Amino acid sequence: MIEPDLGAPLDIHRATVLPEWIDWNGHMNVGFYVVAFDKATDTLCNQFGVGWEYTRDKIGMTFVLEAHVTYDREVKEGDPLRITTQLLDHDAKRIHYIHAMYHAVEGYLAATNELMLMNIDYESRRSAPWPAWAAERIEKMAASHASLPRPAQAGRIIGIKRKS
Amino acid sequence: MLVTLPYEMPELVTRAPFDLHRSTVLPDWVDWNGHMNVAFYVRAFDQASGAFMRNMGLGRNYVDNKLGMTFVLETHVTYDREMKGGAPMRFTTQLLDRDAKRVHLFHEMHHAEQDYLAATNEVIVMNIDYATRRSAPWPMQAAERLEAIWTEHRMLPPPAKAGRVMGLGKKKSQ
Repeated sequence: MIEPDLGAPLDIHRATVLPEWIDWNGHMNVGFYVVAFDKATDTLCNQFGVGWEYTRDKIGMTFVLEAHVTYDREVKEGDPLRITTQLLDHDAKRIHYIHAMYHAVEGYLAATNELMLMNIDYESRRSAPWPAWAAERIEKMAASHASLPRPAQAGRIIGIKRKS
Repeated sequence: MLVTLPYEMPELVTRAPFDLHRSTVLPDWVDWNGHMNVAFYVRAFDQASGAFMRNMGLGRNYVDNKLGMTFVLETHVTYDREMKGGAPMRFTTQLLDRDAKRVHLFHEMHHAEQDYLAATNEVIVMNIDYATRRSAPWPMQAAERLEAIWTEHRMLPPPAKAGRVMGLGKKKSQ
């Protein structure tokens, strides 16, 4: 199992906008922002030792319960992406976190994705506490992320805001 | 503002909720957990938003004629139950709010045969001018259709899962 990266925020995930992620508007489709973010979640889970091998070895899985995305700016085919991740909260079986997607060269914020992820027992396919190795790593990352300011995009309610 | 759209309008459906869009979970939407991946719920919901926009008169023709586009600004998904490859999906859509250039929609995805709720998606969609790629008022013809839809949809009660804030909701310790 890898030694967790305790940089705050976690800033190791990189990707590129693939041709098949582009829609008829000529930019990355809303669904594929979430594909890209879900791969950043894989990177996060790998930090905790609950990534691909965790499921391959039939120990457990992680399921997303809820997701919120803000689409802040367009990205085009071939654009390089940098995705950072901040842990916001956690309990015995869940983590609450937010990803920020940036254009890796131009630096602008393209989107954010706030998520609630739950640990799942492989056999029963029901929620279960994090395995000890994961809980320990989550605690360490939470401690390192505790000093980060809460992003403005976290905890948003969707609605049409009217100027008064 | 665009007044008329230079293509044939589909028959307007005002019945609330909007209950026309159907789809199937494609094999390549399934991930290593053996169910539809989170991102492809959003893909499937985006197609349901597309169906709503077509009903407003803003389908593929709107983009192909280089008149305008519709962009999603924000989305919130609740994942309520798993869907497997090949599962048939039925979508209902409730218009929660609208203004001169935006709509606020609430979709529900049901398993079309077993009828259970699989997920919900709340979304804000904005009209975009094709040339400037910036926000613009709905074309007048689409705005008129939207008002006819709104007249019916505003009578529906707000869905319980609309307007959610994410959090662990920990029980207070004794």
